Amino acid sequence: MLDLSSYDCYRLLDVLPYYVTIQDQELRIVWSNKAHRRDFGPAKQKTCRQLYKIHDSKCVDCIAKKTFEDGEAHSKEMQLTVKKGDRVSVIAYSSPLLDEVNKLAGVIVTSVNITSIKEMQKQLILVGQTVAGMAHSIKNIMMGLDGGIYIVNSGIKGNDQKEIKDGWDIVLLNFDKLSHIVKDILYCSREREPNFGLIHPNMVATEVYNLFKDLASRYSIEIRVDLDSTLKEAVVDPEGLHTVLTNLVTNAMDACKMDLWKDTHLVEIRTRNGFDGSTIIEVADNGVGIDKDLKNHVFEDLFTSKGDKGTGLGLMVTQKIMREHGGSITFRSRPSQGTTFVVTFPQRNLPGGES
Amino acid sequence: MSKKILVVDDEPQIVKYLTTFLEDSGYDTCSASNGEEALEVLKKENPDLVTLDLQMPNETGTRFYRNMTKDKKFKDLPVIVISGIPGRHLAVTKPFAVFDKPIDRDALLQAIKTAIG
Repeated sequence: MLDLSSYDCYRLLDVLPYYVTIQDQELRIVWSNKAHRRDFGPAKQKTCRQLYKIHDSKCVDCIAKKTFEDGEAHSKEMQLTVKKGDRVSVIAYSSPLLDEVNKLAGVIVTSVNITSIKEMQKQLILVGQTVAGMAHSIKNIMMGLDGGIYIVNSGIKGNDQKEIKDGWDIVLLNFDKLSHIVKDILYCSREREPNFGLIHPNMVATEVYNLFKDLASRYSIEIRVDLDSTLKEAVVDPEGLHTVLTNLVTNAMDACKMDLWKDTHLVEIRTRNGFDGSTIIEVADNGVGIDKDLKNHVFEDLFTSKGDKGTGLGLMVTQKIMREHGGSITFRSRPSQGTTFVVTFPQRNLPGGES
Repeated sequence: MSKKILVVDDEPQIVKYLTTFLEDSGYDTCSASNGEEALEVLKKENPDLVTLDLQMPNETGTRFYRNMTKDKKFKDLPVIVISGIPGRHLAVTKPFAVFDKPIDRDALLQAIKTAIG
């Protein structure tokens, strides 16, 4: 039988999953509950500022102080540093504690850890931005389709075969763009098991090279391959590797197209053996480069410097694939000189056991 | 003689679209794919109106506009801004009209007629 009369208030507060502190006029903590002691350590006689290592300037809105001033309850969202050094987000509520003669004697502060909710909130904002970015790209594609269709119709009306062909090419181009966006979205949203197989990375690199060389020459960009002939076979997902290289080469070409200062542009795909059996592939360009301000944002989801031309999905997909491979992606870049992206695939065994 | 319109856009498909449409509507056209080229074509062709994409990389659209308005001869040339980004047209101080992508063709034609007949 549960006998509540045997429970004093401290025992009750100790079993709560929230942080509970009781503080005096000087804001010193006179008691803290079990959850609080677990995450922040012994707190007795410390002020909250000392305990949470809050800078003076951050304490202007102190809810405990406010409660002492007006005897009312207050609440505030804040960030605290726990014992282990992690930052947690909490909503803190302060309420007055009165003595026998109804005089304000202390405050009780209850804080709810909302770090995971904050995390979810961030994800939701991201989703919102993705959708907005996507709507933008699709708008651009619609304009292209609109134009292509108009030109085809105009060609039919004037019985002009060349115009029909030109218009149709525009329609196809935009149709292609649309399928790419859809593919990227699906790739991002799906938890996909990589389809590992023993392949020769040089072959995939050559495939991608062949895919792009004509397109590149249209923009007077030269694509080269510098493949290490001693490169070992590797266990990777061929489709994933293909997507990674296509994305990196597309980015490299865009960087060249945006660069108006050099006469000749070059994109190079290189392969080599890394230490401990890893495979390293580089895609280098002598395009616009990435300046200091942008460097920190490159791997942010949906980051793009291409205005309406980019969706910010490319590197997001690339990163996801590299994560699935347990690999890494890095880059070095100098503004107006060029950028080199480096992807490293670690050595791994085939799922079946043999390597 | 028909009036001439300069189409400035870095995307060849949009240039092709707009020039085809404007020619079908009875205007002469010339085009440029970046701000620097646009400035040259402007001087050579003396157009009566410019349609300007402000989303071109490296802000070449805005730079072109600044350079154009510095020239007394082209200071008052009507400019129609074509931009998919809200607020982007603010870079152009006195646009005759602003259109969002995808463009409403009839409205564009109407604006051009009002501007230059």
